[in-house]
Order: sequence, then structure tokens, then C-alpha cells
Amino acid sequence: MSSDAVLLVLVVVTALGFDFTNGFHDTANAMATSIATGALRPKVAVALSAVLNLVGAFLSVAVALTVTNAVVKIQDSSGAPQARFLDGHGYSLLMIVLAGLVGGIVWNLLTWLLGLPSSSSHALFGGLIGSTIAGLGLSGVNWTGDGTKLDGVVWKVILPAVLSPVLAIAVAAIGTWLVYRVTAAVSERFKEKGFRWGQIMSASLVSLAHGTNDAQKTMGVITLALIATGHWTDTSAIPFWVKLGCALSIALGTYIGGWRIIRTLGKGLVEIRSPQGLAAESSSAAVILASTHLGFALSTTHVATGSILGTGLGRPGAAVRWGVAGRMVVAWCITLPAAAVVGALMWWVGHLVGGLAGGIVVVAILVALSTYMYLRSRRTAVHAGNVNDEWQGTPVPAAAHPVTV
Amino acid sequence: MLDLFLQAAWKVVLAGLLLGAGLPALFALGVRFTADGTGEITTPGAAPRAGFRVLGLVCFLAVAVLVALGITVIVAAGLGKTVSFEHIFPTLVPKG
Repeated sequence: MSSDAVLLVLVVVTALGFDFTNGFHDTANAMATSIATGALRPKVAVALSAVLNLVGAFLSVAVALTVTNAVVKIQDSSGAPQARFLDGHGYSLLMIVLAGLVGGIVWNLLTWLLGLPSSSSHALFGGLIGSTIAGLGLSGVNWTGDGTKLDGVVWKVILPAVLSPVLAIAVAAIGTWLVYRVTAAVSERFKEKGFRWGQIMSASLVSLAHGTNDAQKTMGVITLALIATGHWTDTSAIPFWVKLGCALSIALGTYIGGWRIIRTLGKGLVEIRSPQGLAAESSSAAVILASTHLGFALSTTHVATGSILGTGLGRPGAAVRWGVAGRMVVAWCITLPAAAVVGALMWWVGHLVGGLAGGIVVVAILVALSTYMYLRSRRTAVHAGNVNDEWQGTPVPAAAHPVTV
Repeated sequence: MLDLFLQAAWKVVLAGLLLGAGLPALFALGVRFTADGTGEITTPGAAPRAGFRVLGLVCFLAVAVLVALGITVIVAAGLGKTVSFEHIFPTLVPKG
């Protein structure tokens, strides 16, 4: 195999790895509430979510080839890589993409280790922005678009990221308030039972939305690498094996389940009952699907977390653990820049070593860091068996109460 | 630029509120009617009122239909089509 082909394989495998962490990181968005209320057994919940992610990934037939255009200038508007990258079989483009992906994965794993639901889309975009700045300079980033349509980091990523959780909080709080208002006279037992089905259905919708929304980002990145190296030429379609690979990878990640994050969202933020679960997941599904349909690439994590917070505000007598909420908001704010720093560092390392060896070293660093974080997580493992344990130490300062119980 | 953003954003807000808060409320109404129908009510002396079970069923059915319609609209858009109500019953037609 030529060295170009080896680098391409590294990029494809790393992209699938990112897709895996994407699924694994985001299982909580859809299923944390159903697991916390006992509407679904933990293993059943992740299996259901995995299948729906798989289906969702195939439903996303809209071409996602221009996915990087929102944040960096490495493709033209048709989806083909810019001509300046085509020397050396797309080497410089592959290195930017590879370093960006590694930035995204490392940040996803670190936040998982800390039990923090942070946005996988922001991690990916952050990683790509960082490696692009390192490789091409600040002008390589698409900050605000050209002014004719909504585009660029500010309009497509940052503003939706600020506003979508606020909307989700409002929708979920209003929904919860209405649900409790309407069912005030219904016996507690019947309420808990009656809402379970609604809760499971609405959580399924969120899983489906996640598959359509997130899997296509990786599909776009892999196809870009294939075009840059001359292995694919059609800019209006994605190779079937790429679709299949991404769908399977996100589904497998979902099934493995990021139990630490599920625990934080289901037990840490607010204590959730079935009616609240229904209200939260309906709010998430409606906001994600409506905004995707209208062209906003927002983070499913921000929306889901906002909804769960909102449902805590909407139920009379429910308490929100603001310490946990505060940590999450901090994680949201630093995800993009932190992943960017890792992405940039990786690009420089790869550049310093140079050639195919640079790519191999970057991947080796990724493997080493991932292994370290995995081993570190084993010390305080969270799994299907203890994910619903009582949340220790209610409202105490965030620093004094580690989430990784 | 900001007006472009707001033009699209208010639609998200409207859809989010109507579907995201409205559908759970409709589902809750279904639960409430079913509880009325089966006597699962905390009001003292409330007797089951059989007719309400049908009302509850209608609510649940309405939620199911609306969700199915929503998914159809989104999948159709991905396939480059749109959902038409020209013949009252929703049908898929090419976009444009």
C-alpha cells in the first residue's frame, strides 16, 4: 500500500472513531430520562436508541458533503476540496482533517470521563477550526460567511448554541407546567404508568433525530477525504459503504452507552418523573427536528440538557442542582476552543514530524490518550448496574462533589 | 445578517412551542380523560365515567398522527419532496 493510501485509511478510521464517540457521548440525550424514571431498563434503552440511530443515519439522505463549509474554508461550495489542496494527493487537507478529528475525539473522551454532557458537534467543529488555524492561518476559518446567507462560525455555530438551550428550557418548562396542570387530579400511580409510553415514544424520536443529525457530519468528512485523494468524484452523493460505516459506528457507540453522562443527565441535574420525561424529550425532539429542517446545525446535547433543566423548572416543587448545571454550562463554553487547541497542537506535531510518519504519530498520540482515559475511567466505573444510584451530596459546591461517582 | 437569523429563528420558536409543549399537553389530556374513564382520580367520590375513555383514545390517536406527519415532512424534505394537503389526505409531491 502506498503511503497516501495509508494516510487515507488513518483518516477514515479516525473519522469512524469520532462517530463512535459521538454516539457514545450522546446516548444520554435521548435515553437518560427514560432510564432515570425506570420506564426502560438501562440495557433495553441503549439498544432501542442504537437501532433508532442506525435508522436515522440512513434517513439523512440530504447530502451532507459541505458540512465543513460552515466553519472552515477547505471545500468549495459544491463540496469538492479547494484546488490548493490537491498537490501531493491531498496530503495537506488530510492532515488538517486528521488533526481536527483527533481534537474532537480527545475532548469528547475527556468530558465523558468527567461525566459532562458536552456537544460532539462543537468538539468536531472546534477540532477542525484549530487544525485549520494551525495549517492555514486565521483566514482559513469561515468566521461570519459572506453576508448573503446565514453562514460561518458565528451565525451557524455560536449563536444557535447560545439560543437553542434557552428555547429548549422554555419549551420544556411550559410543557411540564401544562402536563402537571392538566393531570392535577389524576392519581399518582396512574400518572406514572400513563406517561411511560409517551416518554418512551418521545425518547425514541430524539434518538432518530440524533441519527439523522449527527451521523451525516462524519459521512461528509470521510467523503471529503476520499475526494481529496481522488478515490471518489461525485459531489452529489456519498459512497454507500461510508453511509453504512458511519451508521454502524454511531449505533455501536450509542449501544456501548456513555453511562457517566447518562447518570449526570438522568440523576444529577434534576430528579425526573415520567411526565417530566415526556415533556423534556418532546421539547428536545421538536426543537432539534424543527431547527434541522430550517437549516440550523445545532447541538443535540445543548437542546437535550436545556430541556431537562426546563422540566425541573416547570414542575412545582422540583429542585435543580445548579452546581451540576453550572459545570455543564462551563463545559459548553469551552468545548469549541478546547477542541480547537488540541486540533492545532496535533497539526503542529504532525507537521513537525512530516510526511506519513506525522499522521502515524498523531494517531499514536490519540490511541495513547484514549487508552489512558479509558483506564482512568475504570477506577470509578459507571455502568448499567449503578447508573441510577442515589446522587450523592445534593446541592454542594461543584468542586467538592465529583460527578464521577 | 441578524434579520436573516431572526427570520429563520422565529419559525423554530413557533414550531418548538406548538409541537414541543403542545403535544405533551395533548398527551396529558389523554391521560386525564382515561383516568376519568377508569376512576383513577383523586377527587373524593369521583365515579368512573366510561365515555371519557373514548375521549382519551382520541387524544392519544391525535398525538400519534401528528408525530407521524412530522416525521413524514422531514423524511420527505430529505428526499427532495414536500407533503401536500391538496387532496385533504396528505400525499408526497415533488418540491417546487
